[in-house]
Amino acid sequence: MSSTLFIQKVSLRVRLTLALLLAFLLIFADHRLGIMQPVRSVLNSFVSPVQYLAVMPEQAFDNFISQVQSRRRLVRENEQLREDVLNLQGQMQRYQFLVRENDRLRGLLSSESREERMRMVAEVIAVDSDPFSHQVVVNKGRRNGVYIGQPVIDAEGVIGQVVDVGLITARVILISDQSHAIPLRAEFSGIRVIAQGVGNTNSVELMHVPHSTELNVGDLLMTSGLGGVFPEGYPVARISAIVRDESLPFAQVKAVPVANLDRIRMLLLLWDSDSESQPIRGEESATEAAREGAGL
Amino acid sequence: MIMRRITQRSVILITIVLSLILAVMPMSLAVAVWRPEWPLLVMIYWIIALPYRVNIGYAAVVGLAVDILLGSTLGFHAAAYAIVAYPAANYYQRIRNFSLSQQALLVAVLVFIARAIVYLFEHYLNNAPLMFYYFWPALSSAIFWPWVFLVLRKIRRRFQVR
Repeated sequence: MSSTLFIQKVSLRVRLTLALLLAFLLIFADHRLGIMQPVRSVLNSFVSPVQYLAVMPEQAFDNFISQVQSRRRLVRENEQLREDVLNLQGQMQRYQFLVRENDRLRGLLSSESREERMRMVAEVIAVDSDPFSHQVVVNKGRRNGVYIGQPVIDAEGVIGQVVDVGLITARVILISDQSHAIPLRAEFSGIRVIAQGVGNTNSVELMHVPHSTELNVGDLLMTSGLGGVFPEGYPVARISAIVRDESLPFAQVKAVPVANLDRIRMLLLLWDSDSESQPIRGEESATEAAREGAGL
Repeated sequence: MIMRRITQRSVILITIVLSLILAVMPMSLAVAVWRPEWPLLVMIYWIIALPYRVNIGYAAVVGLAVDILLGSTLGFHAAAYAIVAYPAANYYQRIRNFSLSQQALLVAVLVFIARAIVYLFEHYLNNAPLMFYYFWPALSSAIFWPWVFLVLRKIRRRFQVR
């Protein structure tokens, strides 16, 4: 027994060295070479049961709440939803008209007409609590046609893009992540900027804005469609502060994302109509697809 | 004998999986910044309870699982957990003789070190800004340590894991 004790003592240091060597190799391969993507996808599929289990208590609680909700409250909510649908349908008629008109005008200018996009609803099943990586995991994956670099929005505005696809889950990086940047255009002035995340869910920073900029506090920033990832014209953030300190090379501009990044539950995955991968819907969401089709 | 081996191993694995679930369970941001570092707590317990079975190798693998679950660069948490596992595995006899409050203090220090290592990686490789709330879990981990310790000891004795 005493001899094994001795061996243990010696081999602990060996083990630590080995583990660290392996870890540094991984860091080098993942960070510098960026060759770990396929491995990561496989490992993600491995750990997705953990993520599904992690949301089960919350889902059970939600189910319980909806079970015990009073009839009156449900009726009221139903009325509210009906009203919302009516409102949205009214706006939709106007939208249809504008789309046709836009197509016609674009036809007159003989410029390319805009393609309709396909969408799929996804649900958030895990949120990273790590402040260094603002990512969420959604319950759609390769099986549903999700691809890396796919834009993700919610009802308010742009959320982020897909960085990693497992078989039944996908990882979405938020626009507030410190490693994410998104090309934008101011709504009225048309000034092009790039917004980078700072690791805070209610703030992004605009990079390399000259002091003489015509941007104003309160301006809405939309996606410019220039990066090739995000389609044009989706709202992203609203400028909250501009500091023009002449001692710094650029103006310090902060903006608040329009989407509530800290409480996302449902979000929409977008597909170009001519992109390589197309949404693949299961049986359960066939009705959803029909409804979306009818709406357009 | 073999069956018992298997149950013993699965008891350890199940507690680790549970800690990983607790680590990614969605909760509001105000609570989440205080979330104890559950996987590391469970690892520290098993290391001081069964240092011959569970030590640096286990810690590195669990750290890698945390890397995947949190979406950080692969290897950050693996390295941090392996480094923190070393003193725990080396001085397990001394740590076992500590009182629960002394152990809690030590746990706070170990969690702080692990987080500091991950922070340094994030800072030098990914330009992370310094966020003080990233280190608050060191405190909450220490507060939760006595319960983690007692519950895991009960489980270990119930299933006679050696």
